[in-house]
Amino acid sequence: MLSKLLDPESVAVAGASPKQGSVGYVILENLVNRFGKKVFPINPKYDEVELWGRVIKFYKSISEVPDPVDVVVIATPAPTVPKVLEEAGIKGVKAAVIVSSGFSEAGNTELENWVKAVAKQYGVRVLGPNCIGVYNAYSGFDTVFLPAERAGRPPPGPLALISQSGAVAAAIMDWAARRRLGLGFLVNYGNKADITETELLEGFAADDRVKVITIYIEGFKYPGEARQFLETAKKIAAKKPVVAYKAGRGGAAQRAVKSHTAAMAGSYEMYHGLFQQAGVIEASSVREMFDMAKALAMQPTPRGRRTLVLTDSGGMGIQAVDALEALGLEVPEIPESVAKELKRELLPFAAVTNPVDVTGSTTDEHYKIVLDALLPTPLFDMALVVTLMQVPGLTKNLADYLIDAKKYGKPIVVVNFGGSELVQRFEEVLEDNGIPVYPTPDRAAKALWALYKYGEIRKRL
Amino acid sequence: MTHPIVSRALSESRGKLREDEALTLLRAYGIPVPDFALVKNEEEAVKVAEAIGFPVVAKVVSPQIVHKTDVGGVVVGINDAQGVREACRRLREVVKRVPYAELEGVLIQKMVPKGVELIVGAVYDEIFGHVVAFGLGGIYTELYKDISMRVVPVDVEDVWEMVREVKAYRLLTGFRGMPPRDIPAVVDIVYKFSRLIEDNPEISEADLNPVIALEEGKGAYVVDARFILRISY
Repeated sequence: MLSKLLDPESVAVAGASPKQGSVGYVILENLVNRFGKKVFPINPKYDEVELWGRVIKFYKSISEVPDPVDVVVIATPAPTVPKVLEEAGIKGVKAAVIVSSGFSEAGNTELENWVKAVAKQYGVRVLGPNCIGVYNAYSGFDTVFLPAERAGRPPPGPLALISQSGAVAAAIMDWAARRRLGLGFLVNYGNKADITETELLEGFAADDRVKVITIYIEGFKYPGEARQFLETAKKIAAKKPVVAYKAGRGGAAQRAVKSHTAAMAGSYEMYHGLFQQAGVIEASSVREMFDMAKALAMQPTPRGRRTLVLTDSGGMGIQAVDALEALGLEVPEIPESVAKELKRELLPFAAVTNPVDVTGSTTDEHYKIVLDALLPTPLFDMALVVTLMQVPGLTKNLADYLIDAKKYGKPIVVVNFGGSELVQRFEEVLEDNGIPVYPTPDRAAKALWALYKYGEIRKRL
Repeated sequence: MTHPIVSRALSESRGKLREDEALTLLRAYGIPVPDFALVKNEEEAVKVAEAIGFPVVAKVVSPQIVHKTDVGGVVVGINDAQGVREACRRLREVVKRVPYAELEGVLIQKMVPKGVELIVGAVYDEIFGHVVAFGLGGIYTELYKDISMRVVPVDVEDVWEMVREVKAYRLLTGFRGMPPRDIPAVVDIVYKFSRLIEDNPEISEADLNPVIALEEGKGAYVVDARFILRISY
């Protein structure tokens, strides 16, 4: 069922509108122009309207639509939603995305219960209400009512986001589009009248296009929900990385001090504990969540925690060591004999300890020499490579050497900082070839930590 | 399966276990507690103390007194029969000073040597179900809010993680000349306690406070325990 919701063949839009600026207009525009499959606008006020250079036929109700409909997007005023949902149910629609607001979030729990009852009676699964719904970069199925010029749509890619907040989801979508981050799927579930994050997690677990699942969560809502999430996430995390960010930690720690039922209800420590048990990798911010997710989608997991730091900047190397060690990763020394060999091939003033500092006088080849000498050995499990491209000896060939080093089967992340076109192009080539790039050493270190952590989770689950 | 101690308390509509019941329940799950007995009078107290071996602790047991230490309801470091008698008299005075309090008895307990004080707890949360908590005692829980939690049921590895997770964990591994503590014994207590909670879902809240972690190889002991039940379960 969830595959129908995330990947429908046909969609009806109840509340579709030819009036620019309305929610029903934006949803229709996005679907008509980018969803390659069937779209049926529903609005009794219109018959045929010319929009975007073509004649669009409107239907009076869902029952008038001649073809089968997989999903109905409902963007009609809240009081009309139960009726629209009922018509969809009679028509045999399998899932509804209720974009409309004015339900439990506005104190109208009665109306939401009515929606739940209708959904149950007709076996229609409901996402929302009060949500932005689904964005599928592969098919262009997009119920997000924000205009594309305000909220960019990211390209297809291996990440999926499940978000409790619609606004946060939309902002992430826009941000990801700008960074060419492959956020292939995004779902916001709003009031969670029916479909929960647990079920969405299962949906993405079953989809081979999704390599890493990210979750933005503020809090569970229903009794017993946490346990259900735990059991499901545990199964999924054994196969696919799940990264979560729990927002709203403040004050919870205080409440956690005393073992007192009411005070402790849903405290942050409980979420943290649950994520640990489930093998969910926890992020401390949205940015960190995607930093880690990106690495998890592109790179293998390391066997251990021993990290090679290779840099052309002493300062960046030191920062990297600080960040790695603070996360419990190791930066072991290079044995004397190995260092001696290596020194012969590098510049006389290069530092062959760990970090290996090839210095600002480096060339692309020096990086290659170090990677080829050290990565295949059992001395290291992964590498953090700083490539400050501002030095004159580096060219875009360096990207080829780094990509080539993937053959050693060990995680490689790159720190690249700057703004020139060369720097940007270099980053794009690396990321397009599966090497994640970060602007600062601490972010790259955290990405390596996530890979290490996922390796540990895999061993355990 | 609910333990008879819990069932009995519920059938008597008691929302709380007596201290001797709490310790007996822990013992039933293989959780180490210092030797103890509930006594009714001074002579019995002396006999029990001599059997257990000095030093002992005497604690007032009264359903109306929740925070024993606050009212002077705990006498520590008792080294002989005379001390036991004096403690019993003192505890009787304590009970007289608390309005409506009745003395149910005196708990004589073997005194545990000094060690690192820990807190192990459990709580029922509507959304999470039963959750176990672990932290170091004193300022670490109160000031630093340094506590880890897991959803029941947990496995042994979960418990290792939660014990290692608190920042004050270093106090258990040995820090600044302080000896390392018996961490496996601590893990064992938390694990067995989580099993106890799993088997007895009528428990809405529980505190083992303090749990004393002795030096490596010498074990860990639950000195004081409090169990609150959900009567309407």
